[in-house]
Amino acid sequence: MKTLLAGAAMALMGLTGAALADGHANYPERPIMMMVSYGAGGATDFQARIVTMTAGNEDALGMPIAILNKPGAGGRVGWNWLATQAEADGYTLGAYNIPHFVAQSIKGGVQYSADSFEPIANWGADPAVLVVGADSEFNTLQDVVDFAKANPGKLTTSGAGLFVGHHIAALQMEKAGEMKMAYIPTKGGGAAAMKAVIAGDVMAGINNLSDAFRAAQAGNVKILAVADLERNAFLPDVPTMVESGLDVDNSSVNFRGVMVPKGTPQGIIDKLAATVPAMFENSRVAGKMKAGGSPMHIMTRDEVLAMWAAREETLKELLAGL
Amino acid sequence: MSDISLPRIQHIVGSGLVACVGAWVTYVSYTQQPSEAFLFPRLIATVFFVLALWTFIKACLGWTKVGNGVSVTQLSNLAPGLLVALVYIFWAAKGLGFYTATTIAFFILLSLYDPAPHTALKSWLKRIFITACFMVVMYGLFALLLKVYTPREIFF
Amino acid sequence: MEFIYYFGDVFTPINFGLLLLGTIGGLILGATPGLSPTMAVALLIPFTFQLEAAQGLILLGAAYTSTVAGGAVSAILLKIPGAPANIATTLDGHAMAQKGEGAKALQLSFLSSAVGGVFGVLLLIFLTPVLAKWALAFGPSHLFWLAILGVTVIGTLDSKSVVKGLLSGCIGLWLATIGFDDIMGAQRFIFHPSLGGGINIIAALIGLFAIPQVITMFARGRRDDGAEVIEVQKHPIRGAFAEMMRNKRAVGIGTAVGSIIGLIPGVGGQIAGLVAYDQSKKFSPDRDKFGTGHPEGLIAAESANNAMVGPSLVPLLTLSIPGSPTAAVLLGGLLIHGIFPGTDLFDNHPDVAWTFINSMLIGQILMCIFGLYVAGLAAKVARVPQSVMAAIVLGLAVFGSYSVQSSMGDVYVMASLGVMMYFLERFGFSAAPLVLGLILGPIAESNFIQGSMIASATDGLAPYFLSGTLNIFLIAVVVASVLYSAYMELRTRRYTSMEEIIG
Repeated sequence: MKTLLAGAAMALMGLTGAALADGHANYPERPIMMMVSYGAGGATDFQARIVTMTAGNEDALGMPIAILNKPGAGGRVGWNWLATQAEADGYTLGAYNIPHFVAQSIKGGVQYSADSFEPIANWGADPAVLVVGADSEFNTLQDVVDFAKANPGKLTTSGAGLFVGHHIAALQMEKAGEMKMAYIPTKGGGAAAMKAVIAGDVMAGINNLSDAFRAAQAGNVKILAVADLERNAFLPDVPTMVESGLDVDNSSVNFRGVMVPKGTPQGIIDKLAATVPAMFENSRVAGKMKAGGSPMHIMTRDEVLAMWAAREETLKELLAGL
Repeated sequence: MSDISLPRIQHIVGSGLVACVGAWVTYVSYTQQPSEAFLFPRLIATVFFVLALWTFIKACLGWTKVGNGVSVTQLSNLAPGLLVALVYIFWAAKGLGFYTATTIAFFILLSLYDPAPHTALKSWLKRIFITACFMVVMYGLFALLLKVYTPREIFF
Repeated sequence: MEFIYYFGDVFTPINFGLLLLGTIGGLILGATPGLSPTMAVALLIPFTFQLEAAQGLILLGAAYTSTVAGGAVSAILLKIPGAPANIATTLDGHAMAQKGEGAKALQLSFLSSAVGGVFGVLLLIFLTPVLAKWALAFGPSHLFWLAILGVTVIGTLDSKSVVKGLLSGCIGLWLATIGFDDIMGAQRFIFHPSLGGGINIIAALIGLFAIPQVITMFARGRRDDGAEVIEVQKHPIRGAFAEMMRNKRAVGIGTAVGSIIGLIPGVGGQIAGLVAYDQSKKFSPDRDKFGTGHPEGLIAAESANNAMVGPSLVPLLTLSIPGSPTAAVLLGGLLIHGIFPGTDLFDNHPDVAWTFINSMLIGQILMCIFGLYVAGLAAKVARVPQSVMAAIVLGLAVFGSYSVQSSMGDVYVMASLGVMMYFLERFGFSAAPLVLGLILGPIAESNFIQGSMIASATDGLAPYFLSGTLNIFLIAVVVASVLYSAYMELRTRRYTSMEEIIG
C-alpha cells in the first residue's frame, strides 16, 4: 500500500514537473470557453458555434470550445467582462466584432479599448447593407438619398444599436450624402432591426448582409446597396454604395474573430494564432458557413492587428464630430 | 396605535428601509448623466419613492395589515443556517471550489437542522450518506451532463 | 392538410428515437433550476451538427416543448421556477405541493400543458399565414402598451395589498434598469462590479423564489414531530382528468392567452403564464382561493405556457424573424443545414418543415405521458425531511445560478436578492410582481425610447402612441385593468376590520 501511494505521488510530481518545464506545450488541457457578447441565435453566436465546432479534433486544439453568451448593450456587457473579470489563462477566449468594440471604446463609458485584448484570428466579414421593405417605394439607393435630402431627419432607419457596424454605416452615409437620417437603434440586435423593416415600423434599415440575404430570399425585403469596397459573392446584382454615388468605404464591415484578454501568456497566444486559422479553414466549417449564408474571411493574427489599428484611426476621425 | 407589537416595529423598520432605498434611487437617477438614459429610471424611481413613502407612513400610523414578521424564535432558528449559507455563497464557493464548499455547507446544514439526535452514530452515517448522494447527483448533472466549468480551488 | 402526409416520417425508428430522447432529456433539463428552454436548446445544437436537418429539428423541437413543461416540476416541488414561463406555476402549484398534493399538481400541470401545447401547434399548422400578419402588427407603440398592461396586472397578482404589489413591481422595474442601458449604452446604478451585466433574469428568479424558501425552512428550526415534511399523496390520473374537466374555463383562458401572447415577437413566452393566471383569477368565482393551492390557477398557467410554444415559432417559420430567444437558437439549427426559414422552408424542404411541426405535436403527447409517469414516481419518493430539502434547494440555487453565464456575480446577485426577498415577504410583499416588473421594465423602456425616436422623426409623440385601432384597444384594456384593481383594493378594504389591520 505504501509503495503504491509513493508511486502515485511520484507520478503526480512527475506530471506537474513536466507541465512546468515545457511551458504551455500541453495547452489546452481542459475544454476552453469562448465568450460571445451577443445572445444565443444571433449572427455572431451562430457563426461562432460553427467555426469552433471542430476545435476538439486532434489536428486543431484537441479540446472542445464551449460558447458562453453574455449579451447586453450592443456587446458592451460581454467585452467589459472579458477585459476586467475574465481570467487571462488561455481558457477564456472572446469573440470580437469590429468596428463595434473599437467604436464603443472611442465613445467611452466602457472599461476596454483595443489595447485590452490580443487578437488571435479573424473568421468572417459581414458587410452592412441597406434594406427596405418589399413593398417600399424606394428601389435604388438614389431614391433613398433623394428622400433624405428632401426631408432631413425624417428617414427612419433601423439598426442593431448605437456604435455598432450598422450605426457606423449610417453615419458614413449621412456624411457622404450630406443628409440627415433618423437612425433608430433597436434592442434585440439585427433580428429586431430587420423585423422593424419588414413590418413597416421604419422606412429603411441597415442590417447584416447574411441576415438581409435570407430575408430577401424569403421575399420580405429589397436590398439596395452594400457598404463595402466590392460587390459580395452572395449578392452579385446589388451595387456597392460607391457605385451608387455615395462615398462609403468598408469601415462598417463587421469583422468577426477570436481574441483573448491582455495578459494571456505569450506561449498560448502563439499556439492559438498558429492553430486557429487552420481550424477555420476546415472544409466542414466552410460548408456550414456557406449553407448559412455567412461570408467567411480568414485572417491571421498579424493581419488582424493591422486591421484593428487601421479601423481605430478611421473611426476616431469619423466619430470625432459626435 | 395602542399596542406596539414586534411585527409592527419590524414593519415600520422594514418599510422605512424600502423608503430609504427609494429615496436613494430617486436621488441618483435625477443627478446622473446623460439625462436621456435616465428618463425611464426617473419615472420609475419617482413612483417607487411615492409608494414606498406611503407604505411607510401607513406602517407608522398602523393603517395597514402587518405581515407575520419574524418572531424571536424564528430569528434564532434561522440565524445559524443563514450564516452558513452566506459564508458558503459569498466566500467558500469561490474560495474552496464549488464542489468542496457545497459538500461542507450541505453537511453542516444537515447537521444543524436534522432532527435526528446528534449523539447517535447512525444519524451521522445517514447524513454522510445523503451528502454523498447529493454531491454525486450534482456532479453528474452539472459537470458531466451540462459541462459547466465551476471554480475548483482545492480538490474538486 | 399537407402535414398529415408527412406524419409517417415522425415514426421512423431514428426519428422517433430522437423524439423520445429530446422529450426525456428536455424534461430533465427543464426540471433543473437555472436551465431555461433557450439554454437547453442551445446546449443541444452541437449534437444536431451530426444529424440530418429534419432529425436535428426533431430533437430541438421535442426539447423545446418538454423543457417548457419540465420547468413546472421544480416550480411545483421546490418553488424554483425553471424559467420565467413557470413563475405563475409556483403560486398555486407549490402551495398544492405543501398541502401534500404534489402528485396531483404535477399531473394537472402536464395534462394542461399537453392540451395547451397541442392547441398551439394546431394553430401553427392551420393558421400560420394569418398569424404571421398579426405578429407583425405589433410595433414599438403597441409593445409599449402591452408592457404597461402587464404592469397593471402587477397590483392584483399574489399580494394581500395592491399598494404593496405595485411597490414590489416598482422595485422590480428599478432592478431591471441596473446595468448598461440597452439602447444608449450608458451605465446605470452599477454600485458593485457583479452588476456590470445587469441583473440576469434567471439568476434573479432562482434567488427570489428559492432562497426565501430555504430561509423559511431554517426558521422552523430542528423539528422532531415530522409534521413539516413535504409529503406526496398518491393521486389517480383519472382524478386529474376529472379535475381538468371541472376547470374548462381555466384551460380555455390559459390556452387562448398563451396562443395570442406567444405570437408577439419579443414579449411572448415570459409573461404568457402570468397573464393567463391573472385573467383566470379575475374571471373566476373562487378568486379568493387563488394562491392557496387552487388547481384552477395552476391549470391556467401551465396551459398558457405550452400553448405559447407553437405560435412563438410563427414569425420564425414564415418570416425568418426569430420572435423569442429560443426561436433564435432554432434558427441557428436550421441555418446550419442550409435551410432558410420562410418560403424556402415550406416550398423546397416541406419534409423538414412538416416533420418538425408534426414532431412537436407528437412531442406534446409524449411529454404528457412521461410527465404523468414522473408524477407517479413523485408519489413513491420517500418523505423528504425539511433539513435535507433546505440544503438541496440551496445547493441547486448556487449551481443553477452559476451555470446561467458561468458567472460568480450572478450567484452573488441571486443570494442578495433572495435574502432581501425573505424579509420583504414577511411584511406582505411578494416575489411574483417583483419579477414581473423585472421582465417588463426593459420591454416597456426600449419600446418607448424606440417609439419616441420614430415618432419624433415622423408624426410626433401623441399621434404615434395614441392613435390607431390596436393602440386604442390596448389602452382601453389598460384602463379597464387599472379600474378593476382599484375596485378590488376598495372592496378588500371595506371587508377588512380594524383588528385584522393591526393583527
